[in-house]
Amino acid sequence: MSKTDMKGTTVKGRAELALNDDFLRKAVKFTTERLRDGKRKASDDLGNWEEWRERGRQIRLHTIAHLDYYLNQFANQARLNGVHVHFADTAEDAVKITLAIAERKQALSVVKSKSMVTEELHLNQALESIGVDVVESDLGEYIIQLAGETPSHIIIPAIHKNRYQIADLLSKEAGETLPPDTAILAGFVRKKLREKFLEADIGMTGCNFAIAETGSMVLFENEGNARMVSTVPSTQITLMGMERIIPSWSDLEVMATLLPRSATGQKLTVYMSGITGPRRQEDGDGPDEMHIIILDNGRSLQLGDPEFQELLNCIRCGACLNACPVYRHIGGHAYGGTYSGPIGAVLTPALNKNIDQWDDIASASTLCGACYEACPVKIPLHDMLIYLRRRKVERGLGDKMESIGMRGFAAIMSNSKRYENALKVGKLAQRLVVKDGEITSKLGPLKGWNNYRVAPSLAKQSFRDQWGTMEEEIRHGLQEIDPLVSNRMEEIVRNREAGGKGHD
Amino acid sequence: MKVSMFITCISDAVYPRIGEAMARLLAKYGVALHFPTIQTCCGQPAFNSGYWEEARASAKTILEAFEDSDFVIAPSGSCIGMIHHYPKLFEDDPILLAKAEGLRKKSYEFTQFLVNVLGVTDVGATFPHKVTYHPSCHGSRILGVKEEPMMLMRNVKGMELIPLPFAEDCCGFGGTFAVKMSDISGAMVNEKADHVLESEAEVLVGLDMACLMNIAGNLRYRNKPIRVMHLAELLFEGVEHA
Amino acid sequence: MTETHQAWLAQMESESRAKQEQFMNGIAGRLGHPRLTTAPPHPFRGAPDFWQTFGWSSDERVQQFTDNFEAAGGHVHRLSDMQEVQSFICSKAIELSARYMIHQNEIELNHLQLKEKLEDVVVSQWNSESDEDWIARAAEADIGIVMADYAVSHTGSIVVVSSKDKGRSVSLLPTALIAIIPLERLKTRLGEVLIDFDEAGREQLPAGIHFISGPSRSADIENDLTIGVHGPGVVFVLIVG
Repeated sequence: MSKTDMKGTTVKGRAELALNDDFLRKAVKFTTERLRDGKRKASDDLGNWEEWRERGRQIRLHTIAHLDYYLNQFANQARLNGVHVHFADTAEDAVKITLAIAERKQALSVVKSKSMVTEELHLNQALESIGVDVVESDLGEYIIQLAGETPSHIIIPAIHKNRYQIADLLSKEAGETLPPDTAILAGFVRKKLREKFLEADIGMTGCNFAIAETGSMVLFENEGNARMVSTVPSTQITLMGMERIIPSWSDLEVMATLLPRSATGQKLTVYMSGITGPRRQEDGDGPDEMHIIILDNGRSLQLGDPEFQELLNCIRCGACLNACPVYRHIGGHAYGGTYSGPIGAVLTPALNKNIDQWDDIASASTLCGACYEACPVKIPLHDMLIYLRRRKVERGLGDKMESIGMRGFAAIMSNSKRYENALKVGKLAQRLVVKDGEITSKLGPLKGWNNYRVAPSLAKQSFRDQWGTMEEEIRHGLQEIDPLVSNRMEEIVRNREAGGKGHD
Repeated sequence: MKVSMFITCISDAVYPRIGEAMARLLAKYGVALHFPTIQTCCGQPAFNSGYWEEARASAKTILEAFEDSDFVIAPSGSCIGMIHHYPKLFEDDPILLAKAEGLRKKSYEFTQFLVNVLGVTDVGATFPHKVTYHPSCHGSRILGVKEEPMMLMRNVKGMELIPLPFAEDCCGFGGTFAVKMSDISGAMVNEKADHVLESEAEVLVGLDMACLMNIAGNLRYRNKPIRVMHLAELLFEGVEHA
Repeated sequence: MTETHQAWLAQMESESRAKQEQFMNGIAGRLGHPRLTTAPPHPFRGAPDFWQTFGWSSDERVQQFTDNFEAAGGHVHRLSDMQEVQSFICSKAIELSARYMIHQNEIELNHLQLKEKLEDVVVSQWNSESDEDWIARAAEADIGIVMADYAVSHTGSIVVVSSKDKGRSVSLLPTALIAIIPLERLKTRLGEVLIDFDEAGREQLPAGIHFISGPSRSADIENDLTIGVHGPGVVFVLIVG
């Protein structure tokens, strides 16, 4: 294996590659900042953002807590609408059903609109293996399909490509040299994909929300390709995660208020389409046959798990990616899964039971909580990352050196005498490397730190060493406490003892 | 009223001057801090890395140290934030869980205590410098300490408070993250330090020594003469100066 | 083929129904409750309470709709009656050198007599004959014309629903779209429209309900905003009344 290949196998290695790709870093930074600012403006303009967010969370919590009822209702209602509903436990099951439909319909070509679920299934490769031509129709998805890559951002899949690279890819497709001009490139794609839409046998979509009470599915998009895919071909196949459900159209108002604002800062995406079954007999357009495949693929593992059930509340807006300082530096591909960013760092390991293969994806976070703050349905991703790390350690899969270090930490920190001794030993040991109160050596355990910083030395006298004399001095010159303040303090203590929540 | 200082291991071992500034400043308001010496570390390094058994070993010293305190004050939103995790950490032990709940309710980050309990928003400090403020993630996001430091800073005479570009972005410290994912952490702290330089401030101030150690270390590495201070230190110096 | 296909679909359906039971039992099991067979009380239905009563005056609705729709790159004109709509469309058709136009088969639009007024333009009425490839007619059209069934000023959206006489393609495939909003159909909030779909219930819903909030757009190439990627790149909204 070459050095580059080795690097590509761990989060750390992939991150290193990304950090050395200047264009990628700048592009990701620029895009995420733009989206983040858009979201901030949109949520400020709306007003009462926290109330909307809380409402969104409550609707999602309620739906997931009663998912057996709502999903069942959705499936039954969709059938009454004339939809063929299928259930898939695994990615393989979903692929099998999709291929069976494609074969039955003797399909030669499929046009797809953006769907993260189909990325989970690696559906394009599967369809191509039975000779079906698959075309991604979202502009960004089309670009990365031509490049043979995977999306690096939920909302902006080709965030990592510049216009020159895109012009090269599209020129190959066009058989002529196209200039790196956005309008011309997009114009070429419009014309090219128009033909594909009109000749495709099957249109394939994802699903942003599914409405239980009426068996309808809802798509949010800006380009119009999802409408094309669900209007023009005679067969529509929709892949949806089993958790996409909301009870009613009224609940959609909350999701429609949160999702576009969080994703791109729009008040609503250019198109929001609610589709209720295939075409009515007398209609002039719309698919004759409609299939909805409902996928589990590890989702149900989160149900009943108090630490992770809220993961299913995710509405796939990508706001956590845009807010995440780690994502901004390493981009989506460094996460190594279908979903990237903070949601990917939690979702990927949670959906896969193979804990030993989690890599160190959950370690790629400072736990700064920006993801939680950005999340329109308040998923505590920063806490979940800690739970993942803990589960790995509990199963004895933690890093060996780290385990030894942590045992040492516990031994020292569980007893203040041992802690004081450790400080003494540390002060002696650091004499070898300290110069002017700093340590600059890049040897040993400080290497990673000192590649970017200098480390401070331990103080000559710790606070606890100084406290005795300091306390005496302070008590000597102590001021009188303001009786108002002292009353307030007493009241706080009384309230607390009476069962108050405390100051938060 | 027993008001206790939770010094936090980093201030104890590396930055004792922060504890001193806090103690001397509070004394001016008649608060005589008490310092239980059996305290060690809040346990966050182990907790965040998934080693909860080890975190509990450390956290128990904190539960014990502050058991009979009425108020517990620390110069760190992150370590107080860790105390907010104690109920989860001890959820299977009813006795320790009760203690954890009790401690959570009485724990305050330094500016929270100063502003919300003592009711002080102007300590009467003078600090004639250009200053920029980094709001550390755990303090501002987990504890919601946003307005308190701003109020205190706005009332410092002679001080020019310059907004830090992208202030709310994490500095890249993240505890063991800085070592495990050192290159990502390095890229983040480089960016944070760039923003500090961009502000053209002479002094960077914050509420968490771990983050400040990270940014200061990077600024020193790049030989940038920016003074990095905890707000307690700045206020105390400003009061003495006045 | 048709028969075997129907048989295959029936086979798939029976497999799916069996699977559905297993699926739902699995979910209920994991959630730790017996299978729910009646609707659980849903105390958080719809928007927060403070929003439910929010509303703008007619003038504010027009202003907000206009601001939002124009910010998204669309064009809005306030006209007093269908007579003015007719002149607007005719002059736009000439200005844009339209050769093909398609409109929904709706009484208000049929009354505009565009066929007669625009002799050089091929004007078709959606689904007005049975043996026509209507999708192709919409795809070739320079301009599609629809009546908005609703509009929402808070988001700057028009809403069109499908039926025998109202094609989904008419608002999607032409290069330019003209949508007419009778003033009384312009609401403040999304919820005022969505509630109607809840109240109508499954059986009354059309196959397609589309909210359209401007011209088709993409920022997928270097964040550079491109208009008209797949759907209409030019959208005119005419508020009438």
